[in-house]
Amino acid sequence: MRRGETATTTRMGPLGLLVLLLLSAISLCGAKIVYPISDSHRSAALELFSPSFESLKEAYEALRTFEVLGVEINNYRSTQACQSVLNTLGSSSSDVKDVYYALRVQKILKCDAGWENIKDVTLKLQSTICGASSLFDFYFSVGSLVLIKELDIDAEVKLEDANGVFRSIKSLGQSDGRWRYNSNNPESSTRAAGIAIEALAGVVSLAPLDVDLSLIGSVKTSIAKLFESIEKYDDGALYFDEKIVDARDYQGPLSTSLSVVHGFVALADVTSEAINVPREKLLGLAKFFLCVGMPGNAHDFYSQIDSLALLERNNFSIPLILSLPSTVLSLTRKDQLKVTLNTVLGSSAPPVSVKLVQAAVSGSKDSPIINNQELRFDSASGFHVLDSLPESADVGPYEFSFRVDLPDADISNFYATGGITKVSIYLTGLTKLEGAEIAILDSDHGSIDTKNKLELAGKNSVALSANHLQKMRLSFTLSSPLGNAFKPHQVLLKLRYETNIEHVFVIGNSGKQFELILDFLELVDKLYYLSGRYDIELTVGDAVMENSFVQPLGHINLELPTTPEKAARPPPPPVDPYLRYGPKAEISHIFRAPEKRPPREVSLVFLGLTLVPLGGFLIGLLSFGVSLKGFPTSAVPAVFAILFHLGIAGVLTLYLLFWLKLNLFTTLKILGFLGVFLLFTGHRILSHLASVSAKSKSA
Amino acid sequence: MANLLPLLTLISLLFLLPHHTLAFSPDTPTGRRILVLVDDLAIRSSHALYFKSLTSRNYDLELRLADDPKLALQRYGQYLYDGLILFCPTVERFGGAIIKEAVLDFVDSGRDLVLAADEDASDLIREIATECGVDFDEDPAALVIDHASYAVSSTEGDHTLIASDDFIQSDVILGSKAIEAPVLFQGVGHSLNPANNLVLKVLSASPSAYSANPKFTLSNAPVLTGSAISLVSVVQARNNARILISGSLKIFSDRFEKSGNEQFLTELSKWIFHERGHLKAVNVKHHKVGEVDEPSIYRITDDLEYSVEIYEWSGTSWEPYVADDVQIQFYMMSPYVLKTLSTDQKGLYYTSFKVPDVYGVFKFKVEYQRLGYTSLSLSKQIPVRPFRHNEYERFITTAYPYYGACFSMVS
Repeated sequence: MRRGETATTTRMGPLGLLVLLLLSAISLCGAKIVYPISDSHRSAALELFSPSFESLKEAYEALRTFEVLGVEINNYRSTQACQSVLNTLGSSSSDVKDVYYALRVQKILKCDAGWENIKDVTLKLQSTICGASSLFDFYFSVGSLVLIKELDIDAEVKLEDANGVFRSIKSLGQSDGRWRYNSNNPESSTRAAGIAIEALAGVVSLAPLDVDLSLIGSVKTSIAKLFESIEKYDDGALYFDEKIVDARDYQGPLSTSLSVVHGFVALADVTSEAINVPREKLLGLAKFFLCVGMPGNAHDFYSQIDSLALLERNNFSIPLILSLPSTVLSLTRKDQLKVTLNTVLGSSAPPVSVKLVQAAVSGSKDSPIINNQELRFDSASGFHVLDSLPESADVGPYEFSFRVDLPDADISNFYATGGITKVSIYLTGLTKLEGAEIAILDSDHGSIDTKNKLELAGKNSVALSANHLQKMRLSFTLSSPLGNAFKPHQVLLKLRYETNIEHVFVIGNSGKQFELILDFLELVDKLYYLSGRYDIELTVGDAVMENSFVQPLGHINLELPTTPEKAARPPPPPVDPYLRYGPKAEISHIFRAPEKRPPREVSLVFLGLTLVPLGGFLIGLLSFGVSLKGFPTSAVPAVFAILFHLGIAGVLTLYLLFWLKLNLFTTLKILGFLGVFLLFTGHRILSHLASVSAKSKSA
Repeated sequence: MANLLPLLTLISLLFLLPHHTLAFSPDTPTGRRILVLVDDLAIRSSHALYFKSLTSRNYDLELRLADDPKLALQRYGQYLYDGLILFCPTVERFGGAIIKEAVLDFVDSGRDLVLAADEDASDLIREIATECGVDFDEDPAALVIDHASYAVSSTEGDHTLIASDDFIQSDVILGSKAIEAPVLFQGVGHSLNPANNLVLKVLSASPSAYSANPKFTLSNAPVLTGSAISLVSVVQARNNARILISGSLKIFSDRFEKSGNEQFLTELSKWIFHERGHLKAVNVKHHKVGEVDEPSIYRITDDLEYSVEIYEWSGTSWEPYVADDVQIQFYMMSPYVLKTLSTDQKGLYYTSFKVPDVYGVFKFKVEYQRLGYTSLSLSKQIPVRPFRHNEYERFITTAYPYYGACFSMVS
């Protein structure tokens, strides 16, 4: 099997691969390098958001995502959304939350809305703020007022008691930087903190006069505290999450982080003073949102894109993402090392220089192959390119360290690049495999019995035979493209017995020479004394080899001694599931053959023969003449005599009937009666005969 | 207080009612309530497509952290869920009242389990898998590596993201539509216990794969090599509970868009949650040819007719099951008659045969075990008697000479 045949080209968005790298047990973020938002996100967004909206919130999330990604919003979506905006803003009974999202949609779509009702809406919002107790009431109504103000229509939007509102929102805050949703609920939440900070920023922008600086200062300290509780993945990605997860209200880390980002960006927009958020943390947050890849759920997708958009346009620090289009470089194709530097949404970075600080074989203490080399910026493609790898670069896994150098202090204060970025790079190439041969050696003096040359590029089918006193030797040389010794990760020889029992051997090397000697005398136990045909298969493969292969080499017939009693039994061969379940062979019962009978004619002849004496008797009877002399002449004995003979005839008829149809029980019953009758008549007739003979004697 | 009691009962009844209506039962094998245990709630975002495919098929997913102290699988002896998905490869012990035995009891009660391990899978997860007949590579850092059939990608250099299309050949497990693209897999390989014939390899690695730690050179031969490595396996227990064991949690994630993963796992989840391959047999009938009523006993050499109706659960209703290999055995210690049933293609299977000339207590046995289907095991005892005294042949020509001899003798 060659690589070209089975390797499956699978095109995936670059983001698709991020999470796959090793080391980390965390399932969401495990990537070492992250990639900015790309076109695959745009197509995914169109698939993910349903064409019709169920609520204004959903509409806003979809439209905002499309706006950030620069995806065109189709007419159907915009008409539909505008219609519900009009309905919501036109009605005085709309929910504050709906008004808020309607205004947000309006900000994106700029529908032709009639503003006749806007004063009522404004008044209603202001009264909601006065009576509000829950954080969401503040958030939606303050947010709506800010949006109405931004609409730039002549509606009077002001918050008279800004300081008071500020304090009442602030009163929901906790000492650890988190917030409560509502004054009755003691549980605090990180997401609520983000919402509260955004609401506070809104209050500041609505205030007719400046809000008390000490109040803003206290919010800043709580932001700092919030950032202290930020959570961290192994690769440096940072995110906010709830401390106590209540499954009902829990929105997930994306949503929580989004709300915090919203909060501090909004506050940074309205205050003139700087907010002390370390730039590395913003970069960590950006990495988190990017390493999520492509969320499969619409709300998460929106959270990701909206946060990245805020991180990209915030006014204190913009994260820059260093990424590589390819981390597998083929020496055969002379691939160039390319690095791109983008903002999180994929727009190009300001002019910077990228320096390759070091490139060394990973996990080795050898001297690095590249030290401090600046990459050439190719303005046509937008890549920072390393024109050629040094001559000494051989195949192997490398670790490259990059550093982004910003030209002047102004820019370097504004952008966050995260210091040195380490990336694993695989340099692949074609290895040279030569001089392969397989031989059978005689054990005692090591002389070669048979020897076969192998063409590892072509097909081989050697047929060897050996007994347990011999050895098999397989040898070849393998070297890297530069002619150095190279040990692939997988150099295995497999012997497969007829019943699918496999034995795997690792082929060892010294330098370029690879050799495996199988001494069958030592192996008989391991081979379970099974003589017969073994198929030989050689596998050579490595992550940096472009010519990895699995190849059947042929077979060897082994003659091994008979199994001693104590030897281990071979393991049961794996059962083929397809054979296990087939229908069974049909079975039909073989009935006992009926006994053999003579032909009908024979039976009838014999029947005739048995009837011959009877016939003879009857003929004799007739020819000698029947003497009825003894038959009683007087009336009464004559009647008994006739009855007696009729009784005998009846018994004979009964026997005939018994044969023809009656069963034993009926027959015996009737026979009982007939017997008594016969006994009686017989007794009478015999006693008569006896008296007659007694008379004649006495006479 | 006395007045409150009926009210409380009513409330608790109302509370329990939905659980009863949704509960797992032989009539509707597809349970609706599924508990998903995760290490990190972010899995809800990263594996959203898989969850969406389940919720779109009306499953009721409850996503909880695996160490949530309030976890419970059952309350008052009633199971709260019909299925359990363990997407928590690193959990050392579950929260709440769930222990390893509780998970196994859950399966023993006929409910379904999906288990995903990963590199660095915890002992707990490995033990549950071992109980199901699946042994993960013992080296915790080992991954399945394949230098010949890996996913070609410009950012994956270590060949642990492998592409496999060695699927089990079974329409009932993977659906009748062929999986369009190879499945991308990155994780731990496992082997199946050859003595266990309930566990099946659904996705195997290619012949060039091996399981080893990619960071270190191989000093000993790898234990798992070639297509003996199972990547995804399923178990169908004797009580028809179904288990899916995967060596990778990432295989379920949304990352591998252009691969066959989504189709593969969706089809497999249909099988796991009994939307396919769940059979039931009803209306088992047998009687003498020409009669309708079922006799309590047969005589040897009687001709009899046997019929049974078999239906397959489609996720929403019972559909007639069509096959041509259902067999009946007339069985006493060993089968005397084994016959393939004819079918009318509408779920009815029937045949007729002659009762063997051996008397004793027989059984009608239908043992239907097919790859991926739940096993049907019907057994009905029926005695068979010999001829009565008056059921033998009466007029045997061969005997006429004897009758004649007697007759002539008597006369």
